[in-house]
Amino acid sequence: MLRVPQMIAIHDLVKTYGKFTAVDGVTLDVTPGEIHGFLGPNGAGKTTTLRMIAGLLKPTSGRILVNGHDLASEPEAAKMSLGFIPDRPFIYEKLTAGEFLAFHGGLYGLGEPGIGERVREMLELFELGKWENELVESFSHGMKQRLVMCAAFLHRPRAVVVDEPMVGLDPRGARLIKDVFRKMSERGVGILMSTHTLEVAQEMCDRISIILKGKIIARGTVGDIRAMGEKDDDQLTSVFLKLTGGSGLQEIDEIV
Amino acid sequence: MVRAYPYLLLPHLLSSRNRARRRERGDAARGLLFGGVGIAVCVALYQGSYWLTGHLEDYAELGDFLLRMGLSWLFLTFLSFLAFSGVVTALSTFFLADDLRLLLVAPVATRRLFHARFLRTVVQSSWMVVIFLVPVLIGVGRAKCASLTFYLVALLTVVPFSIIPVAAGTAATLILVNTFPAKRARDILMLMGLLFAASLVIVLRFIRPEQLLRVESLPDLTDFFATLQSPITPLLPSFWAGETLFASLQGGRDLLHAGALWTTALASVVVLRAASERWYFSGYSRSQEAPKARFTKFRALDLVARALPLSTIRRQLLIKDLKIFLRDVSQWSQLLLLLALVLLYLYNFRVLDLSKIPYMSGFLKNIYAFINLGMAGFVMATVAVRFAFPAVSAEGASFWIIRTSPITLRDFLWSKFWTAFVPVLVLTEVLTIAANEFLGVDPFLKVVTSLAIVLMTFALVGLAVGLGARYPRFGADPSQVAGSYGGVAFMMQAVLFVIVMIGLLGWPSSVYLLQQVRGRPLSASQLSLIALCFTGAIGLSLAIWLASMRSGVRALLAMGD
Repeated sequence: MLRVPQMIAIHDLVKTYGKFTAVDGVTLDVTPGEIHGFLGPNGAGKTTTLRMIAGLLKPTSGRILVNGHDLASEPEAAKMSLGFIPDRPFIYEKLTAGEFLAFHGGLYGLGEPGIGERVREMLELFELGKWENELVESFSHGMKQRLVMCAAFLHRPRAVVVDEPMVGLDPRGARLIKDVFRKMSERGVGILMSTHTLEVAQEMCDRISIILKGKIIARGTVGDIRAMGEKDDDQLTSVFLKLTGGSGLQEIDEIV
Repeated sequence: MVRAYPYLLLPHLLSSRNRARRRERGDAARGLLFGGVGIAVCVALYQGSYWLTGHLEDYAELGDFLLRMGLSWLFLTFLSFLAFSGVVTALSTFFLADDLRLLLVAPVATRRLFHARFLRTVVQSSWMVVIFLVPVLIGVGRAKCASLTFYLVALLTVVPFSIIPVAAGTAATLILVNTFPAKRARDILMLMGLLFAASLVIVLRFIRPEQLLRVESLPDLTDFFATLQSPITPLLPSFWAGETLFASLQGGRDLLHAGALWTTALASVVVLRAASERWYFSGYSRSQEAPKARFTKFRALDLVARALPLSTIRRQLLIKDLKIFLRDVSQWSQLLLLLALVLLYLYNFRVLDLSKIPYMSGFLKNIYAFINLGMAGFVMATVAVRFAFPAVSAEGASFWIIRTSPITLRDFLWSKFWTAFVPVLVLTEVLTIAANEFLGVDPFLKVVTSLAIVLMTFALVGLAVGLGARYPRFGADPSQVAGSYGGVAFMMQAVLFVIVMIGLLGWPSSVYLLQQVRGRPLSASQLSLIALCFTGAIGLSLAIWLASMRSGVRALLAMGD
C-alpha cells in the first residue's frame, strides 16, 4: 500500500511545566491538502502544541516532523517548509508592510530577483496592495492579521500552522481567509488550524481533533464527531460541549 | 540562499531610518537638549582628562605611575558596569525581545541568531562606555602628545575590552535562564541588581578611596598606591587594557596584554557560541513559561492597604498600582540600581573623614549640605521622571477600565500622586538625613534641608504626575515614556526648580550660619529677607504642586472631547 506523506506529524508530544502537564502524549498528523481543525476549550493545550510545532517551545518529549524533517534534528529544513500564523503576532511596527515582507522573505532565503514581485502579489491577494509603503503601526488589527498571513504564505510553505485565524477579522476578511486556505489546500498545503469558532471548523475542516486537558479525546471528520452526539442531528457545538464538559449552562440562570 | 547574520539586524536599521524620517512633536527640543548635554559632557570629559594628564606630567615618574593606575581603575569600573549591563541586555535581546517569536519560527540557524543578538548586546551594553571613553582617551592622548598609533591602539583595545565582560554577562544570563525552574527570567534582573550593587562595593573595596585622605600615608605614595593593587587585578581585562594603552602612550607596544585581550575576547565568543548552540533554545523555551505569582501575592500589602483610611476606590487603585509595580521586576530593578548608586554616595560620605583635613572647616561642611540637597533633588527628579511621570501612561490599554468606572479622573490622578509621593519622600529624606548625619552639618541646616525635601517632593511629584497626564503615551514602556517630549519637559523644569530652591534656601541659611559663627544676632532686615526667601520657597513649591495637578486633571478631562 502506498503510504500517504504527512505534512505535519507529531508523535507522543508531551510538554510539562513543573508538575503541570500542558500537553500529554498528543499524536496527530496532517496530510497534504488537508485542513485539520484543532479544537478544545481554553487552556486545553492547543496553543502550546502549535507553538511546539512552530519551534517556539521545546517539547519535554515526543517527536515533530514537518514535511518529513525532524524539528529537533533538522530545525532549519523543517521550518523552511512551515508557515506559522500565531494568535498574537509580532510585526515590526516601524517597518512598512513591504519592508516587513521583504525581510521575512529573506529569512526564508527569498531574495532578488523576484522578492519584490512576490511581496506585491501577496499584498494584492490579501487586499493590502495600496498599503505596501505604509508603516505597520498605522494598521488596524485586521490588517495586521492579514499581513501576518501574507508573511506566512510568502515562501510557499508545504504546511501551515494557524492559531485562531478569524479573531479580529471582519466578515469580508474572514471570507477572504477561508478562500485562501481552501486554495492553498487544493494545491497540497497541509493546514493545522486551531479555532474556537465551531462554524468555521464545520465549514472548512476535513478532519478535527479535540483536545482536553492536554489529551486528544476525539478525532475524525465533522460527520464522525457529530455522530458522537446523543441525537443524529446534533450540531458540532453541542457535541463539543458534551465532550469537553461545558454543559454546566443550566447554572447560568441561578447565577444571573 | 542563507544570508549572513547582519541581515537579522536589518529591521532595526530600517526602523531607525523610518523613525528618523517621521518626526514627532518635541523631537527638535529633545535633540537639542540631549545633544547639547551630551556635547557639554564630552567637552568636560575631554578638558578634564587633558588637564589632569597635563598636571600629572609635572610629576615625572610618579605622574606616569598615577596615570597608569588611573587607566587601570577606569577600566576596572567599566568592567563591572559592562558585565552587569551585559546580563540585563542579554536577557532582553536573547530571551524577552518580541521579535524572537518571529525569528525563531523562521529557518534561522542558532549560530546566526547568536551572532546577530550578541552583536546587538555588545553595542547596546557598551555604547555609553565608549562615548565616555572617547573624549577621555583623546584628552589623555593630546596631553601626552601621542601619535596616531595611540588612537588606533585605543580602538583595538576598547573593542575586545567591551566584548569580554558582555560575553561573561551573556553567559551568566544563559546559565540563569536555564537554571531557574519556571519563567523567572525577569526576576533574574532583581538578582543581577543585587549582584551589581555588591560588585560595586567590591570595586570600591579594591580602590579603598578612604586611604587617599590618610595624611600619614602621604609620605610614601608609592607604597600607598601599591596597596591599592589586589593580587587578582593583573588577571582582569581592565588591567590588560590599561597596560596596553599606557605602553602605547609611552610610544611602545605591549603585545602581551593586547594579545591577552584579543585572545580572551575571541575565546569567550567561541565558547559562548558553543554554549548558546547547546542551551539557548531550552532557555528560551523556559522563559516562555507562564510566571507564577506564588512568591508575589503581597498579602501584607493588602493588610496594610486595608488599614489605611482610604475609600474603597482609592484603596483598590493603590493596591493595583503597587502590585503591578512590585511584580514587574524590570521596573523596580532600575530603582535598585539607583539605590546602589545612592548607597555608594552615602558610603563616600561615611569614609570621608573630614576631621583629618584641616582646611575643611565647618562652613565648608555646611556648603556640602546644600550640594547634598541638590543631589537629592536630582535623584528625586530622576525617580519622578522614571516612576511618577509614566503613572498615567502605565494604564496603557487598560485605561478604559478607569474611564468607564464610576471614579472621577481627579480622584484617579490624586491617587497616582499619593502612590508616588510617599516612596519618593522616604527615599530622598533618608538620603538627605543620612548624608547630613555623616557630614555632621549644623542642626539648623539639618532641619532646613529636611523640610526642603518635603516641599520639593510635593512639587516634583506633582509636576511629574501632572505633566504625565498632559503628555501620556499609552502603550509605550515606562522608559520610553520617560524619554518622551513630556518627560524631557519635566526634567528641564525640575532641574530649574531644584536650582531655584537651592538658591532660595541656601542664601538665607548661609547668612544665618555666618552670623552665628560671628556670634552676632540677625538684623531685622536680614530676618525679613530670610523669612521672604523661605516663604518664597514654600509658595513656589505649593504653587507648582497644585497647578500641575490641576492642569493634569484638566488634560485628562479633555481627553474624551
